[in-house]
Amino acid sequence: MLRHIDRSDQGSAEKLSALEADHDSGGALPAAPKRRGSAELSAGKLGVVMNLPTLATLALVLAYPIGYAAYLSFHKVTPAELRRGVFPSVGLGNYQRILSDPLFLLALKNTLVFTAVTVVAELALAIAIALLIGQRQVWTSRVTRFLILLPYAVPPIANGLIWSFMYNFDFGFLNRLLFSAGLISKPVNWIGDPNTALFALTVPYIWRTLPFAVLLVHAALQGINPELFEAASVDGAGPFTRFRHITLPLLVPILVVLLVLRTSFAFVVFEEVLAITQGGPGDATWVAVWYSYKRSFAPPFDIGIGAASAYVLALIIGALALAYVTMIYRRIE
Amino acid sequence: MMGRPTGTGALGRRALLKSSTAALALAALFGRPTRAAGTPWADRPATRVDRLNFVVWTYGDIYTKISKKFDDDWGVPLDATISSFNDHPTKLMTMYAGGETIDVSQSSPFSFPNFITQGLVEPLDGLPGSDEYQKNFTESAKQVAVVDGKLMGLPYFSTVWVWNYYTDLMEKARFEPFKTYDELLEQCRKAKKDGICDYPIQWVAGVGLEQLPGTWYQLTWNRGGVFFDKAGNHQLGPGSIARETLKWWIPTFTEQLADPESLKVQFTTSAKAFCAGKNIYRGPNHHYGLNIINDPTQSPIAGKVKVMGSPGDGKTIGDTHVYFLCSANRDKEWAWKLLQYLGGRTKDGAYTQANNLARDAMLGSGYASVMKSAAITEGWKPWGDPEKILEIWDKAIYVGEMCNSIYKPWHFPWTDRVNIEVQKALTGQITADRCCDTLIAAIKEVQKS
Repeated sequence: MLRHIDRSDQGSAEKLSALEADHDSGGALPAAPKRRGSAELSAGKLGVVMNLPTLATLALVLAYPIGYAAYLSFHKVTPAELRRGVFPSVGLGNYQRILSDPLFLLALKNTLVFTAVTVVAELALAIAIALLIGQRQVWTSRVTRFLILLPYAVPPIANGLIWSFMYNFDFGFLNRLLFSAGLISKPVNWIGDPNTALFALTVPYIWRTLPFAVLLVHAALQGINPELFEAASVDGAGPFTRFRHITLPLLVPILVVLLVLRTSFAFVVFEEVLAITQGGPGDATWVAVWYSYKRSFAPPFDIGIGAASAYVLALIIGALALAYVTMIYRRIE
Repeated sequence: MMGRPTGTGALGRRALLKSSTAALALAALFGRPTRAAGTPWADRPATRVDRLNFVVWTYGDIYTKISKKFDDDWGVPLDATISSFNDHPTKLMTMYAGGETIDVSQSSPFSFPNFITQGLVEPLDGLPGSDEYQKNFTESAKQVAVVDGKLMGLPYFSTVWVWNYYTDLMEKARFEPFKTYDELLEQCRKAKKDGICDYPIQWVAGVGLEQLPGTWYQLTWNRGGVFFDKAGNHQLGPGSIARETLKWWIPTFTEQLADPESLKVQFTTSAKAFCAGKNIYRGPNHHYGLNIINDPTQSPIAGKVKVMGSPGDGKTIGDTHVYFLCSANRDKEWAWKLLQYLGGRTKDGAYTQANNLARDAMLGSGYASVMKSAAITEGWKPWGDPEKILEIWDKAIYVGEMCNSIYKPWHFPWTDRVNIEVQKALTGQITADRCCDTLIAAIKEVQKS
């Protein structure tokens, strides 16, 4: 039997071995073949062995495509060349081209704006909603907890189409609702106006991805000892003070995780753009992934350019994630 | 009783057996079946395949019908990969890049030069019956399907750009179809002012190859301009008709005469939006939008929408989409057979697909004989006035004649820029002059890349 023995559990493991030895010598059952010391792996080695399948799978499904995309980004690659498997090298040519392309720079700027709006809004909303549904004395919170998860089950492209109908200038539900409520006097062209289109895209995106953030914050809130709040209340702390000095500091680790994850995901927004605006009107909603997609998969199918732009985006995300983690953990320490 | 034939001209039993055996041996040696002269579409290819496939964009159930016919006629099942029109180039090229087998596919005239450059398209010259097909091509079909003197495809359908108007609102406003562009603007302003409708005109100006750019091409051509001359020089400079057309076009948006959805709609969605009966005019766009607008099962205003030509001498543009034999095919002879079912003749010698497309979907054909047939003159009647449309048809040129860049691989990426810049101009972000200057600069950029 291969058994993993934790160091802290060394004593009980020795007892178990002694019991087994006793059983082997005096028991009625046939004696099991004796094992040498080499048959039992150390904790470190066992860890490596157990992780090997995962590492191999990750290498296959993640590392290889990532490496291959890096390789493509330094070559001239079209579908015909992909089929032949021979690509002429262009060195840093693809990177030079995208970094001098005003459309790519605009797409990056739009992506940054989109990410900033969605991440800030999601974090604020996630904390607020998680606090609300965490109220045990409100019986509807259980139903709310379930309902809040529903948008997460909607496929992104379907979400885009739903909101595309909602935003329709002539027949959209949103304009009708706002008009009925007396908030607008004439329909607003939400996604046809370059001034509102990018912000209009953030709403469906937040609607779809917010449940994930709510879930994480809600789970973190459950882990806070209620006695802390009780003690603070006894000391005369009001709800805002309790939130500022107890809840928020204890949520920081999960907020860091959320910041990193939400930023990474918001940077690669695609489906809503595809379903709702296709980058328009004009270039008002061209974001970085839309740029990579159009360069790679629309004529003249310049996959090398697409790979290079995706790599620039990945580097930015990586740098931001590193900055988040360093900055916030330094503050905690 | 008749005597056994004798003499020099007669064939004895032994001689008959000998000659039959020799003929069979020769046929086996060269691997080709005997062909009935002049009917190559009816011959079974000598090779054998288990199945064939094609990669196309969706259009009703036309592919279910033609696939069944092919299977019934030849006993070879077909696999179809069908995506949306906009996604088709991506789907096709990723399949090609991934090393998949593709027997037949299709293309808009705008993507075709790219597919050819990528080596995806197999020339059809020399294949049995190809010459006969070419002889029957319309001018528009020839312009697209014959590239550098080589036959590269067979026509899927042809269309011309027309205007539509909604008769109820026209009567309410007491308008006659406009005869000049100034009159169009006057009518729109008056209709808006009188409360006939909020947005009198719906342009087909969503992002795409044929919507926003197509509308600009058509308006420019009708006003006497071109985008690129025959030598490939752009005609977008200061004072050009294309630039002046854009200047005329912008106020229809800034004065809110144009439906704001105009910048989002594609040809089909635009036809569906027009069915709401909220606009007076729609266009200029494909003639077959009428098969949605005047279809009682789809449109509340069915039967109340008429077709009209363009102002002045009425000249307009048209185009033809093609099917092509893919270089990644599994068997050239069978792929050619399949290609003919989609874009040529079926086993019975009829242009089955072209006839069905005319009768079921109001599409025009790239074959002159089909365009003259009852499939068109009678088949289009449920939705529109075939005589009137054919009159407009006669005034149409292939769009490549006024926008020569369509024959170049860089046209597609340049169109991306057209979509972006013209939408910016129409939404008031930039002027028409800046838009055209940017597009001129973009020509060199896309040519370089």
